[in-house]
Amino acid sequence: MTKWITIAKHEFAYNVRRKQFLFMTFGLPLIMFAIIGLPILLGASGIGPQDITIGYVDKTGTFEGNFTRYAGEEHAKNDLLNGKITHFFVIPADYRSTGKIYIFSKKSRTLGSIEGEIRTFLLDNLLKGDNKDLVERVKNPIQSEYFTLNEKGESGKEDISRLLVSFAFAIFFMLSIFTSSNYLLQGVVEEKENRVMEILLSSVSHRELLTGKIFGLGAVGLTQVLIWQAISIAVLSSGPVALLLKGISISIPLLIFASGYFILGYLVFACIMAGVGAVATTSREGQQIAGIFTITGAMPLMMSQLILSKPDSIITMIFSYFPLTSPITMIMRISTGGAQYYEVVLSLLILTVSILVVLELAVRIFRASLLMYGKKPTIPELIKYVR
Amino acid sequence: MEKTVEVLNVSKSFNGQPVVKGISFDIAPGEIFGLIGPNGAGKTTIIRMLLDIIRPDSGEIKILGSGQPEETKDIIGYLPEERGLYRRLTVIDSLLYLGALKNSQSKKRALELLERMEMLQHKDKKLSELSKGMQQKIQLIAAICHDPHLIILDEPFSGLDPVNMKLVKEMILELGKEGKTILISTHMMDQVERMCGRIFMMHRGGGVLYGSVGEIKSRFGKNTVFLEFEGELKNIHGVKRSNLSGNYAELILEDGADTQEVLKALARDVRISRFEVSSPSLNEIFIKVVEA
Repeated sequence: MTKWITIAKHEFAYNVRRKQFLFMTFGLPLIMFAIIGLPILLGASGIGPQDITIGYVDKTGTFEGNFTRYAGEEHAKNDLLNGKITHFFVIPADYRSTGKIYIFSKKSRTLGSIEGEIRTFLLDNLLKGDNKDLVERVKNPIQSEYFTLNEKGESGKEDISRLLVSFAFAIFFMLSIFTSSNYLLQGVVEEKENRVMEILLSSVSHRELLTGKIFGLGAVGLTQVLIWQAISIAVLSSGPVALLLKGISISIPLLIFASGYFILGYLVFACIMAGVGAVATTSREGQQIAGIFTITGAMPLMMSQLILSKPDSIITMIFSYFPLTSPITMIMRISTGGAQYYEVVLSLLILTVSILVVLELAVRIFRASLLMYGKKPTIPELIKYVR
Repeated sequence: MEKTVEVLNVSKSFNGQPVVKGISFDIAPGEIFGLIGPNGAGKTTIIRMLLDIIRPDSGEIKILGSGQPEETKDIIGYLPEERGLYRRLTVIDSLLYLGALKNSQSKKRALELLERMEMLQHKDKKLSELSKGMQQKIQLIAAICHDPHLIILDEPFSGLDPVNMKLVKEMILELGKEGKTILISTHMMDQVERMCGRIFMMHRGGGVLYGSVGEIKSRFGKNTVFLEFEGELKNIHGVKRSNLSGNYAELILEDGADTQEVLKALARDVRISRFEVSSPSLNEIFIKVVEA
């Protein structure tokens, strides 16, 4: 029987041509870019570091450096208003006991980089006469590297990039589930509303219809997320973030595990969403029910601290095997080197079995609640259906 | 000969409410069969069970001798009562997709049928651009495009204007001549009177009449007068009840009433342009059966 493939192809082709899909896929990144990117661009075109000239008024009489020194505030104010300088600050006579200085500028603006320069200026003066190395240390006291000890006492250098990989996986996974669940819910609920269902079911079985929908609509959501990812990689790799990405190395086994967990985990969620769609009478109602499952899926992300620091705790164990949480949990643990092989095999096995079980349940619920237009089954009724 | 459809003692209830109660009937190959009854009688539920969209609580359904629905879905054509197609898909794409789901995609036949139903010029339009009647014709085409052996039509005439009604009727009769087995379900009982060989009449989930139309009608005798007239109809001696619609009336006579006396009495009050003594309509028979 290959009718489900026909359905999957149709669902995919029909849905990627929706205006809503095209808008979300290409319009959303554009809007995001407008919101995040434009202020940065505009900010960069404003006053850069080279445009800053700083003056100061020193009432203690002990500070000197490469800023323009003014004898009095009046003079500095005049120069500020005339545009000769962009900022000036006043060091009061009691500065050494209070640490207070007063910074003046023509426009209100964030002072981050200016404060940095002033700070260096002040430190240089305060530590004048001290050892040069000591001055450097005071300015920048921590250069950290982390090591973890295993049971044998061997130390391994902790690699921040591994954590980044697992978080990237988690975010990509959640994003895919959120988008696809929308399409799946809509796809099933809408078909109930426009009554095409009955014609389809006179041609194919409930199982073929649902399987076709899960794969077709799942592919729609995945396509959307992949396009988003391609766009964001293109944008990021052209900017300074590229440097950060270069530091990340992903091993081939990790990539294989990640793909495996992604696909299996994704299918579990897709089957659940199809089942939820079968029960819900409107897509909004469906989204509310679906939210319970997606939040469960995001739990490992919220509890990542615990999972990584205590791999033997009960919660980590449960999260590692429970099909809704295992993809993210296991990738976190694998990428940080904290998972045993038998755990990987077992969790993958549970995921695979879950797909079949959830699909079967979804088909039964679908079958039973399908033609009760406008009536939501109660929980006891649902239990009756799946028996 | 093997029956095309066999329904044996089938029951179904929803939430404890019986909708179909122990129904049995069969349909022979090549027969045009009427499943009739008022709205809510359980007709659509039976059809959905024939198509394995829902399953009976008890009883057995066989299509072409097979109890396995997967084997027979490809050779059944179905026009559901609740009409619906993909609104943003073009006519021809819809037909091809639904054909593919029956494992029989034929553009040639789709185009032929579109021409036959006077819809060819609309083939590249989206469904949402078509009128309701046009959409209905497209659905009928979708139901028969894969050349099915058994065609199930649920309320095929609802929402059609007289021209399209005639077109659809002719189409159904033509399919019947080709040897297709056709099940027409409708609450418009008079519509199927002249088309169906046999009928199964339902009321509140149960069967009330089953047999050939001619046999059923003769069972109820010639006690009805079809009347066309001008003027105002008054109570006539010998007429038990009259169904008036404008200048047309169906008079149900009392048992033993003399049709000639009735004609004379009528002629005194109104101008008669037609007076026909006949068997009662299926509608009338239904009312009689239900009231009995």
